[in-house]
Amino acid sequence: MTAGRLAALSLVICVATIGGYALLLGVPAVRNHPEGYVAAFAIAATVAGLAVALKQRWYAWAALALSLLLFGVGSYTNFVAAQIPAEPVVLRVGERPPDFTLPDASGTPVTLADYRGKKPVLLVFYRGSW
Amino acid sequence: MSPDRNEQSQQFAQRLRLGYRFVADPDLAVTRRYGLIHRRGGPGGADVPRPATVVLDREGVVRWASLSDNYQVRPDPRDVVRAVRALEP
Repeated sequence: MTAGRLAALSLVICVATIGGYALLLGVPAVRNHPEGYVAAFAIAATVAGLAVALKQRWYAWAALALSLLLFGVGSYTNFVAAQIPAEPVVLRVGERPPDFTLPDASGTPVTLADYRGKKPVLLVFYRGSW
Repeated sequence: MSPDRNEQSQQFAQRLRLGYRFVADPDLAVTRRYGLIHRRGGPGGADVPRPATVVLDREGVVRWASLSDNYQVRPDPRDVVRAVRALEP
């Protein structure tokens, strides 16, 4: 394979990784393995490195720089920024969580204890839309 | 449950056509009592909720909980459905 083709392959891997992850975010197997995109960027950087080893052309260096940048950003995102520090455990299987009363979207108060003896409850905590 | 204002969660629910009840915890008081804070995880270093899914049975007891150490990860919906179906009828 020529340096040009290797550099192009590296670029394709980078673009396919970003596009694939974004498009397949709804698929648990993809979403729940973010280390996959880090590994893909590492492969892209390796391929670009081979391109540079073959021929020190600008496109090979550019592919290497891009893939290393994405690898760096991806690694930081997944292994540092996305990590949630441990907190003292409150939720335990077999125990009742704290009761609460909070307004719903129409302003009507919702009390967790009101569901006791009536229905199971699914609680989903999410980060919000900021 | 999220710190979003009611209007925001209402728009969110309508956009995704969700029938769930969205409740607002703007000062994260309840989220904090549940031990589900991601310290300094939001914009400007603000505390934000830690993503979590909890299944309570009819007696209000926790039967299944999914918390991740990585905010990119969420439970597989099939696992949630399985946990709900495993509750006593």
